Amino acid sequence: MTELQIVGVGTWSTKHGNWSEFRTGTQTGDWPEEVKLQPDLIPARERRRAPQFVKMAIEVMDQACKMADLQPDEIAVIFSSAMGDMQITDYMCAALAQTPKLISPTKFHNSVHNAAPGYWSIATGAFCPASAVSALEYTPSMALLEACIQATEEHTPVLCVTQELAAPRVLADVCSAELPLSSALLIAPAGYYESPLATLGFEVDQGTAEWPPLGEQVQAFESNISARLLPLLTALADGHDADLSFPVSTDSQFTVRLEQCTT
Amino acid sequence: MRLSITHYSATSAAGIGVAALRKSLAERQSGLRRNDFEGCDLDTWIGRVPGVEKVQIPAGLERLQSRNNQLAWLGLQQDDMLDAVSSLADRVGPSRIGVVMGTSTSSIGQTEEAYTRLEESGRMRPEYRQPEVHNLHSPGIFVSAVTGLTGPSLTISTACSSSAKVFATAARWIKHGLVDAALVGGVDSLCLSVLYGFNSLELVAKDPCRPLDRDRNGINIGEAAGYALLTRRDLSPDAPFLLAGYGESSDAHHMSHPHPEGKGAIFSMSRALERATTAPGEVGYINLHGTASKANDKIETYALAERFTEATLVSSTKGWTGHTLGAAGILESVIAIDTLETGLLPGTLNCRQVDPEFRFPVMTDNVKKTINCAMTNSFGFGGNNASLVFRSRDD
Repeated sequence: MTELQIVGVGTWSTKHGNWSEFRTGTQTGDWPEEVKLQPDLIPARERRRAPQFVKMAIEVMDQACKMADLQPDEIAVIFSSAMGDMQITDYMCAALAQTPKLISPTKFHNSVHNAAPGYWSIATGAFCPASAVSALEYTPSMALLEACIQATEEHTPVLCVTQELAAPRVLADVCSAELPLSSALLIAPAGYYESPLATLGFEVDQGTAEWPPLGEQVQAFESNISARLLPLLTALADGHDADLSFPVSTDSQFTVRLEQCTT
Repeated sequence: MRLSITHYSATSAAGIGVAALRKSLAERQSGLRRNDFEGCDLDTWIGRVPGVEKVQIPAGLERLQSRNNQLAWLGLQQDDMLDAVSSLADRVGPSRIGVVMGTSTSSIGQTEEAYTRLEESGRMRPEYRQPEVHNLHSPGIFVSAVTGLTGPSLTISTACSSSAKVFATAARWIKHGLVDAALVGGVDSLCLSVLYGFNSLELVAKDPCRPLDRDRNGINIGEAAGYALLTRRDLSPDAPFLLAGYGESSDAHHMSHPHPEGKGAIFSMSRALERATTAPGEVGYINLHGTASKANDKIETYALAERFTEATLVSSTKGWTGHTLGAAGILESVIAIDTLETGLLPGTLNCRQVDPEFRFPVMTDNVKKTINCAMTNSFGFGGNNASLVFRSRDD
């Protein structure tokens, strides 16, 4: 197994606004009644215009970085989503079917899959490499694997985001997501950070792992592809060590070993 | 870091397959045409690949029908790529070859079409309910399915740097031992989203685009598919060309305007050279991003001036192909690699008078010159940059 560290984590949905609310929710079943989405990194004036899809990502990225107290200009980014910004896709396709010459230029430039890492780079002044990926049902596991390999081979911290919006009505025929969910894991090479949350070993081998089951308290997210990584987050939240295998293709599996660091 | 490139292929308006591309470049025959894309009445020129809509998706994969996958399939059938993939899979096993594709808009053309024919209830018609198509990974799904490769499959979508970054990801996968080889590529097809989208940003030219020209006034949208087969050195020690280095960076500036001093571009070129252990003076040719937008072309020359001398010849080939967006990285990688084979360095088609504000000289005419190191730049919206260094084996 290749050894890495988890040094920060962030998460947001319409059921929880941050990591501590997620931890409370998964442990006690108490979720807050109201959740806002107001990432401080985006200036208030721009926040109103920024797409929800971008705001979710910036929120969880900022949470994870603040937890680790690492500067964004030393962190590469892997952003992932199976479907991308479905609200903009829905807007673009509906507008193109009606009044194509009136397409909003702002919505168009926000339609790129790397919009969130673009906003992140602008907000933080970071010139680091950033990628935006999709692997449909394997998106969460492939994104984390991509981040683990990049952290190992480039010896850099990597902020790995995986998220999905709730599907707008027309796209609900091809995407089942009912609740939005976003999570970020900030991983670093072994020994990079003094006080990591956990160590993360990983390896890939031949095999046909099934997705690990979601805990009872997070069942509500099951329709959202990005929830497939939640067993790792709930183990981290519970303070449990865990061995988890995720499929990355029809015949390859990605196994991670999570060991909590006591502080 | 050196990886073998055993095969490469490109399909664009400038030709279906590498032989046709070479001929267009040598004869300075542009593939651009006045816009005749169905459903689009914009007054512009486009780089359309003729006959894409007639390409038959292979039997058994009809569920993956989309213009983007038709173009992906047309491209994959050129330059012996399918045979090469198949014989490599026989050697190392289909699970030891990864698939890394780049695209900006994936199969959104199919989604656009679905929205024009919704049922009265507002739902997609049953024939359009294609979950494996209406998503960003559609090219990766198609290429994995049609080649039978079962290794990890990923689609990178970082706008116009997408299919340059596929080389970086594949290189890391191979170095890590995740796979022994990777089929990398890119495919982006014409669709209304990009035609009307770039039009809304006032970036589309009415006439054939004129990259690097003083009077350039915007881009022509094109479409393309391209592929390269990368392996560990020891698997294909005789491969004639190598991926020597890659560099990636962000701009930290603006969503649709490059950093005014080209800082992100300088980072990506510098990181690529460093990883390739290549001095700037060794680079014989750079295929520029060179979109024909006012900002890109000027700022790219600022960045070049920071790292290179006039010994390095540079040009943009978008006057032949248009800007193929998420496929530009692979298309222009193929053009750069092929200069190592042919010694034909393409000039800049449609550039009549080089912009006097540039800080670096650019080629307008084709040049015949043997070189053993070539680069390409790809810069995308969101300020996302990638540069690649290719070398001949025997240099």
